Amino acid sequence: MSWSADTLTRARDIIARYPEPRSAVMPLLYIAMREEGHLTDDGMRQVGELVGLTPAQVRSVATFYVMYKTEPKGKYLISMCTSISCFLMGADDVLHALEEASGVPAGESDGVIAVEHAECIGACGGAPACLVNYELVEGLSVSKAAELVEWLRNAQPDAINTDELQTLFGGDTSFDWAIKENNSAIGPYPAFPPFGTAERNTDALEPNRSRPL
Amino acid sequence: MSRFPLVITKRMTEYPSDSHTLDRYLATGGYEAARTALGRTREELVELVKESGLLGRGGAAFSAGLKWSFLADPRPAYLVVNGDESEPGTFKDRQLLERDPHQMIEGIIIGSWANQVHHAFVYIRGEYPKPARRVQQAVADAYAAGYLGKNILDSGYDLDVTVHLGAGAYICGEETALLNSLEGRRGEPRLKPPYFPAAKGLYMMPTIVNNVETIANLPHIIEHGAEWYQSLSDCEDTGTFMMSVSGHVKKPGNYEVVHGITWRELIYDIAGGMRDDNDLKAWVPGGASAPWFVPDLHLDKPITKAACADDGSMLGSGAVIVMDHTTDMVAAAERLVRFFAEESCGQCTPCREGTTWLDMILQRMLHGAGREADLGLLYDVSDNISVGMGWPPKQTTICPLGPSAVSAVKSLLEHFRHEAEAHIARATHPETRPAVPVTIRRGA
Amino acid sequence: MSAEIRITIDGQDLHVPGHQVLIHAAQDNGVYIPRFCWHPRMKPVGMCRMCLVEIEGPRGRMLVPSCTQPIHQGMVVHTQSETVKKAQEGVLEFLLANHPLDCPVCDKGGECPLQDQTMAHGPGESRFVEEKRHYEKPIPISDLVMLDRERCILCARCTRFSDEISGDPLIEFQDRGNATQVNTFPDEPFASYFSGNTVQLCPVGALTATPYRFRARPWDLRAIASTCSICTAGDSITVQSSQNQVLRYLGVDNDATNHGWLSDKCRFGFEYLHAEDRLTAPLVRGPDGELHETDWATALSYAAAKLTEIISKRGGGAVGGLGGARGTNEDAYAFAKFMRVAVGSNHLDAQMDDGLDPQFLAALAGKGTIGDLESAKTILLWAADLKEEYPTLYLRVRRAAQELGARLIVVHPRATGLDDRGTDVIRYRPGQGAETLRELAAGEGEFAAVRAALDHGPVVAIVGRTGLTESPKLAEAVAAFARDLPDASVLPLARRANTYGALDMGVAPTLLPGRAPVSGIGCANLVESWGGVPEGSGRDCRRMLEGLQDGSLAALVMVGADPVSDVPDGAMAASALEAAEFIVAVDLFLTESSRHADVVFPALGFAEKEGTVTNLEGRVQKVNRVVPGAGQSREDWSILDDLAMRMDRPIHLASAEQISKEIAHVAPAYEGVSWDLVTWDHPDGAVVPLEAPRAPLEYVPVMADAPKPRASAFVLHVARTLYDAGVVCSRGMALKDLAPGAAAHLTPGDAQSLGVGAGGVVRVVSGDVEADLPVVIDDSLTPGVVYVPFNQPGGPHLGHELAVTVEAV
Ligand SMILES: Cc1cc2nc3c(=O)[nH]c(=O)nc-3n(C[C@H](O)[C@H](O)[C@H](O)COP(=O)(O)O)c2cc1C
Ligand code: SF4
Ligand code: FES
Repeated sequence: MSWSADTLTRARDIIARYPEPRSAVMPLLYIAMREEGHLTDDGMRQVGELVGLTPAQVRSVATFYVMYKTEPKGKYLISMCTSISCFLMGADDVLHALEEASGVPAGESDGVIAVEHAECIGACGGAPACLVNYELVEGLSVSKAAELVEWLRNAQPDAINTDELQTLFGGDTSFDWAIKENNSAIGPYPAFPPFGTAERNTDALEPNRSRPL
Repeated sequence: MSRFPLVITKRMTEYPSDSHTLDRYLATGGYEAARTALGRTREELVELVKESGLLGRGGAAFSAGLKWSFLADPRPAYLVVNGDESEPGTFKDRQLLERDPHQMIEGIIIGSWANQVHHAFVYIRGEYPKPARRVQQAVADAYAAGYLGKNILDSGYDLDVTVHLGAGAYICGEETALLNSLEGRRGEPRLKPPYFPAAKGLYMMPTIVNNVETIANLPHIIEHGAEWYQSLSDCEDTGTFMMSVSGHVKKPGNYEVVHGITWRELIYDIAGGMRDDNDLKAWVPGGASAPWFVPDLHLDKPITKAACADDGSMLGSGAVIVMDHTTDMVAAAERLVRFFAEESCGQCTPCREGTTWLDMILQRMLHGAGREADLGLLYDVSDNISVGMGWPPKQTTICPLGPSAVSAVKSLLEHFRHEAEAHIARATHPETRPAVPVTIRRGA
Repeated sequence: MSAEIRITIDGQDLHVPGHQVLIHAAQDNGVYIPRFCWHPRMKPVGMCRMCLVEIEGPRGRMLVPSCTQPIHQGMVVHTQSETVKKAQEGVLEFLLANHPLDCPVCDKGGECPLQDQTMAHGPGESRFVEEKRHYEKPIPISDLVMLDRERCILCARCTRFSDEISGDPLIEFQDRGNATQVNTFPDEPFASYFSGNTVQLCPVGALTATPYRFRARPWDLRAIASTCSICTAGDSITVQSSQNQVLRYLGVDNDATNHGWLSDKCRFGFEYLHAEDRLTAPLVRGPDGELHETDWATALSYAAAKLTEIISKRGGGAVGGLGGARGTNEDAYAFAKFMRVAVGSNHLDAQMDDGLDPQFLAALAGKGTIGDLESAKTILLWAADLKEEYPTLYLRVRRAAQELGARLIVVHPRATGLDDRGTDVIRYRPGQGAETLRELAAGEGEFAAVRAALDHGPVVAIVGRTGLTESPKLAEAVAAFARDLPDASVLPLARRANTYGALDMGVAPTLLPGRAPVSGIGCANLVESWGGVPEGSGRDCRRMLEGLQDGSLAALVMVGADPVSDVPDGAMAASALEAAEFIVAVDLFLTESSRHADVVFPALGFAEKEGTVTNLEGRVQKVNRVVPGAGQSREDWSILDDLAMRMDRPIHLASAEQISKEIAHVAPAYEGVSWDLVTWDHPDGAVVPLEAPRAPLEYVPVMADAPKPRASAFVLHVARTLYDAGVVCSRGMALKDLAPGAAAHLTPGDAQSLGVGAGGVVRVVSGDVEADLPVVIDDSLTPGVVYVPFNQPGGPHLGHELAVTVEAV
């Protein structure tokens, strides 16, 4: 498969933001993930063509970074931090709860939900914490983790909004999040323009929205 | 509220709902410092920052002004803001990026002008999409308002800023790995010498790499002067700085403090003391790389660069990980070592093989398959990564990541050897392979 | 180059060149610091950490990797301290932690630095009780290379080589940390012309060569130093054999030529020596019209009698001699002497109508060396695609452009392997080379910058025919232009291993030994030894073939010549051989050409005989014998000497060594070139200090060779590829399937107007020859050009005419 004219334009715009085309490899890999949900061989070839690298070179770069997934991860990727601060606050139990509730062992995917352990995600003050499609939830507990999985499974939201998740399933945060934003992730890759941000209806983010169970 | 003067967290504390917007930034005197700076010469600015005593906040605590003065002659030169923040325990840059992005952008303008840079980069770790969105919005707003782009603030000076997202690699926080990553390569640290990217950095051109917090301080130093900055603390480490406190304290979080307070003040006053009023067992003083401190020896020591160094550790990224008496120190050490084993770039033999080996031994001990020989082995493997196991390390590796894994092992063996011995004594099937296969887990 | 500085290593005061890294300086002074990743021809990466040593610094001793450590005045180094030993043993233990213990079945066993280090310093017993890393055991990553990731120690030598040196980064590190592995992209094999170098570079048995796997153990191998004779670069090699079989070539680092590298064709191109159809006895055509094996005496007497008969009837001028470029200088000398003295003919040519004027080549002798590339500021490359035809020279040019910053100007009708490093890439339509040269020389328009660069030397111009339909006059004109630049050296490129040696020995219609013109035999020694030579210039290859066709020549002596495969117009060559009255061939095989012969003598091949060869710079190097030849094969010189004796025109040759002395005697330039010039520690050989003949290189008027425009006419470009249907590739198991195959390359536009796509078939018609070829889309061509690779298995010989027609089938 090859990219649409639109996507190619976006890719060329990104290349133009750097002094050298090769620098755009990482952003283009995110685009490739967004195009097909994960990094395919064709996606890597396409990136290589755009920046002037062999596919082997592109793959070499891509596999260095854990956020690029060369295997399909389904719709929701839950990355549970198990590094020291989260570990101290019970992250292993939470990871276990995620695995139990989803029936997906860490490192695997059932086509809808994927669970993985992650190293420190910079949420140590709100430990234990996880990312859902790279959007943060802090102050998790064993029970909330199970609820989170259930909700994903039942509601199957099209977009993942960090503030919504935090409201529904989070607890203590690393610092005051202050306000809610409506940018959301629409797949297991970061919601950072131009890699696939969706705007969520902010009404949905009201804290007193009843929690589906 | 804080009993210290708030500098870089002031705006977000006073105006929590919109501290990240351009309007609020301008309403609170924003971009005035940039205007002032553009009226000064490079030499004046480098001198000012040197005099302020501002130390890098990324971990190495190197004088920012001095680093700038190393900038080599060839052009173009680049400024790269290090927002990769991945050191376990650290989450301060996340707050600065998310809650006050214009403060950093103004710092970028100042730093860029001072270093004759026309293209600056902000490297934000991939796991921070929300902070990255805020920064990107702020950059867009700054462009639109004429603070970035061509002829900024009518000064004739052009500056472009590119926001770059990492993709899950702690090692990209190491500045030369970060530059490789920014060049579209594997994030492997480069060889030293050259010791500073200021000589040869991005695209082999002179490059200044500074931490987000370091950069965020610049507008304040320009606005209030070097003397003011020095006067904020009454010890040799000037200014305020952010400490991220996590673990078994009542109030984990980021705290803007001044150097010179004691660990007791930080843990018991500022962070609210131990959860459930448990006993404090140990803490990691400056990010996962730092050798641990224990209450008997260190609780009343001041939090300064020099005091930490004297005690064989460091302030590093300002991340304090607090452990209470319920903590299994072998498990804690394993978790720290595992982090480095997973995040090793894999270039150098001792780090690639040694950190994994250490982790395997510790995991085996935790799984009840520890052996008598393991403590000696832990010691020796560590010693072969970091000769003498001291800090700063005498490393056999290219960068300090490998030796960072040793810090936890060394701390374990030094302060909690009996716990390790107890694990071995409890071993249910010593001298055998672990029942649980020990494999290094990776992302995809 | 920096000045000498003083350092102290283990208490010993040394003076070393300041630009070296510590490990190199130590090595040059006899201090061996163990290492795995460092290689003197690649940038240091400091990854394996085996080379740690201590240096004294302001804060006491510091452990540093000696492979990345620059040296400085007064540096004090300790390579044997307890700390160093502990650190090195530690690294070794780490490397062994995940290394399989399969040395007994590993190809590298016995020549493995890791094994050696372990024997010397390794831990007696492994303290690593955990489970080792597991990967699928050897996986083929190309037709020639297997990869065993469990053995890999991640030194990055292979990945660096393919990225930094050969410029085809197809093998790369994948994943990270402890999971790091070397691999190719799925479904994209390591199809590099240079992949074999990574096998040689690999310090362990992770990369192995399919042709060598499990063939021998190092301690069973016999090895000798020699010189590769596939292209004309003169690459230094080691030839290794066991039980009278050549098993392996290794590149030898020669500063002057190959820097230790070899192309895969050279590295694996020895299997033909042991091919089943190798000739083992003389053949004579019997009354039944078939060739039959016979004994030497019968074959020699028969050939002598026939030649004598033809000479006495029609004169020596009725006999032509083709070949001589595939053997040694001694063989070539024997051929020249045989033709001129025993036969009495000047019709003698080592080139197969695909080269350059011998006098022109002689005029340029000594005008440049490969080493000039190291200091070149500008390189003008207007010749064959070096990657296809001169692979190690390609690496040297790539290095000059990529690592040393030379400005590279590539002029060629289509994309070449060096375009990615070219500062200026100029493409032209075959036939319009003269026009392009004129514009370039005038610095008109877009050529202004290029022209200016050429005035800022040092310039190295590499000049040759870009293809077989291109007039050799163009290369001559380019060379003439380049020679007159302010500060330029010129390297003219001819094809086939020892063409330069053959020309030096007088295997050319217009030259005598020592590159002296036939017209004026100037050397008294030559007169004395040869007793005079026939008058007038002889015929070149094409004119000899024409002569055979029209009957003006009656007989042909071919020494290692295969005109039917090698001349552009193979069909014409075949009909010429068909028409000949009598043909004698000296060959290793019955080729498309030698099968036409009436007598075929089996010759010794490479690695089966001793002698000297001369490369494109005029560098004379040695080739050596390591295996006996097949069957009753003999050296070319000895066959020719015997033949001459039986013709009653003895040429008095006794041994290769004696011949080399005779050469030194009759060709003054070879005076200093002694027989024992190549030894293990002295692989550079000697450059023949040959003065170009006094007469300056004549300006050759550039002919306007543009074809007359014809409706629907295309212009044909024909060029060689590294792998083709030649003997080396077609008779080696390793290489026989690697030729790209015959095809017609067309621009996307031309293909579209012809109504064909990639893989479709077009008919290319050149004169009487027509061929149906699959289409390859090639957007590097100029519209209206069709490129057909030469000498492909089953492919056509389309001749040397530019104008062809192309139509869809
Ligand atoms: C393994 C390793 C990880 C690092 N990670 C970070 C990081 O996440 N963020 C950071 O700012 N600096 C990090 N550093 C420090 C940087 O290399 C560099 O010193 C710093 O960005 C310079 O900025 P500063 O002088 O403003 O502190 C790391 C260093 C090492 C050795
Ligand atoms: S110490 Fe570890 S992380 Fe650092 S360069 Fe070496 S292998 Fe990479
Ligand atoms: S040879 Fe120096 S680190 Fe490998």
